[in-house]
Amino acid sequence: MGKEILSYDDLLQIVELIKSAEAFSEFHLKIGDIELDLRRSRPGTSGPAVAGAAPLPAVAESAKVGALVRIDNDIPEPAPRMSELPSDIPAESVVIRSPMVGTFYRSPEPGAKPFVEVGQRVSAETTVCIIEVMKLMNSLPAGSAGRVTHVLVADAQPVEMGQPLIVIDPKS
Amino acid sequence: MGRLRFIDVTLRDGHQCLWATRMTTAMMTPILSTIDRAGYDYVNMLGGAVFDVCVRYLHENPWRRVEMLSSRLSTPTDGFLRGQSLYTFELFPDDIVELNSQVLARNGLKNVTVYDALNDNRNVEVPIASAKAAGMTVTAVTVYTVSPVHTDDYYAARIRELIALGADRVGVKDPTGLLTPERAKTLFPVVMRAAGETKVELHSHCQSSLAPEVYSEAIRAGFHYVHTAVMPLANGASLPAVEEIAERAAALGVDTALDMEAIREVSGYFSWLCIREGKPRGRVVAYDPSLYSHQVPGGMISNLKSTLQTMRMGDRLPEILEEVGRVREDLGYPILVSPFAQYVVTQAVLNVMQGERYRTIPDEIRKYAMGYYGRLAATPSREFLERAQVEPGVLAGERAGTHVEPWVPRLRQALGPKAHDEDILLAAFYDKELLAPLAGEARSYSYRTSPLLELVQYLRRRPEVGEARVRVAGTELALAR
Repeated sequence: MGKEILSYDDLLQIVELIKSAEAFSEFHLKIGDIELDLRRSRPGTSGPAVAGAAPLPAVAESAKVGALVRIDNDIPEPAPRMSELPSDIPAESVVIRSPMVGTFYRSPEPGAKPFVEVGQRVSAETTVCIIEVMKLMNSLPAGSAGRVTHVLVADAQPVEMGQPLIVIDPKS
Repeated sequence: MGRLRFIDVTLRDGHQCLWATRMTTAMMTPILSTIDRAGYDYVNMLGGAVFDVCVRYLHENPWRRVEMLSSRLSTPTDGFLRGQSLYTFELFPDDIVELNSQVLARNGLKNVTVYDALNDNRNVEVPIASAKAAGMTVTAVTVYTVSPVHTDDYYAARIRELIALGADRVGVKDPTGLLTPERAKTLFPVVMRAAGETKVELHSHCQSSLAPEVYSEAIRAGFHYVHTAVMPLANGASLPAVEEIAERAAALGVDTALDMEAIREVSGYFSWLCIREGKPRGRVVAYDPSLYSHQVPGGMISNLKSTLQTMRMGDRLPEILEEVGRVREDLGYPILVSPFAQYVVTQAVLNVMQGERYRTIPDEIRKYAMGYYGRLAATPSREFLERAQVEPGVLAGERAGTHVEPWVPRLRQALGPKAHDEDILLAAFYDKELLAPLAGEARSYSYRTSPLLELVQYLRRRPEVGEARVRVAGTELALAR
């Protein structure tokens, strides 16, 4: 490619001038060899695009550049409310609460069998669920032996710190 | 007179650091022929974030980008691989790592640059051997950080390991821009001695704004290659500008063989893209000493801020950054790059959120402490080990890749005997739903552009412009709608 008749520096300068002249209906520019005249369309005559122009690259998706390095911070909004305990829970039940803000998972990976089902017997060490925080997984143990009586949160739901998750009846 | 060679990272790290990796293939193709004239020795165009953003956000098949750029450029193309984790943070079995090398070579990639985030170089054994077996050359780099255990001798030992593993070139990768000219003065001569006859590269970022000065030290120490980007995609969280480093090399009496005319045009094109696409331009940042205490990359801090806001903990950022420094020490000084940066930051958030240190320890951090991902730089603190109840390094006896069973037979069975190797790999990396948008028809690209053409297209996109007349030198153009 030979020497450009218009440089990128010229282009940047021209576009900056066009942007700053938005309020005017006519625009005349002459810098050295370069001359540019623009005239505003009359209202209601937004005709077809210029014929013969090369196909356009897609117009920029809006200038949203948030995080600079890691972009996949699609952490869901935590639920704004703190679920209450159901009224039918026996007084001596053990309630497993979320130790942090995060996302509740019932199974080790999508589509896999849940860690525990209602009615299942567990020991203190049995993993009952995972809370995901910032993409890291935290397995929660039952903490006491017994039978699972309630699973209070649906899979993949955001949970608050202290929110009740699973109820265990230690005596059954 | 010495010669300094350049590896261009504009099409990879430049936009990864400044545009959240959102540069599309269509934005690259019009300027490739000019990049080819710039006099670079390699064009780095692939890395973990590029691969991932292609799939997740741009819905582009990353293999097609590798193939397209490698065939359009006569300058050899290069791709960064995160050791046994390739493009992700997951640990892959050897057969996936090997197949990936074959697929990259088949698509025309000429060089891979490999590193392990823990500097456990057993994790680059299979990436190096398989890349060479597939006919590519290999640069193996060691990752720089600041800690009491990451001494000059530590890095000399890593460089010797990489050479013993068969690396064609070695280098120092400073992902967070922590290198200072003072440290470079002692470290670089040690690295050069350890490298012996093997050529040495430098890759550093500008977060602290000291990188150009560090590059001057590398030139003085006799480094052979430096990684740079063109001005609009340099500085800030990105790497130094090729224009600035070329000037420094000239001032130090070192030849560069760059075509500055071509580089001016490439820079102009990307300056224009910043305006056209509404993307930020790289800016020189002020020196910030706090970078050296928490070491969290700038991009990650902005990400952390938004995460904390959704957790309604937005006001606790300073406290968390302070805790990051302590957690890093407790964990045996992992380098704050992916995925370990996430581990350390998340543990710090948990410690602050729960008001008690290490009440909850994520499963991945326990695995890290047990050496599942590789050897630790130093033994974790007693406080952490007591809470985690793990034996440090107990799993580090074997190379991390041996912890995972082969995947390829299972994936071939699932996808059928006719499945393409490229699809086997994509299925290893991603869920089916994420891959569905990639199946569309091949895109067409434009391979040239000019400032005048860009001006006409710009005017066309402004509906309020009814008539336009452009005169440049002997050319006249009249447009009306």
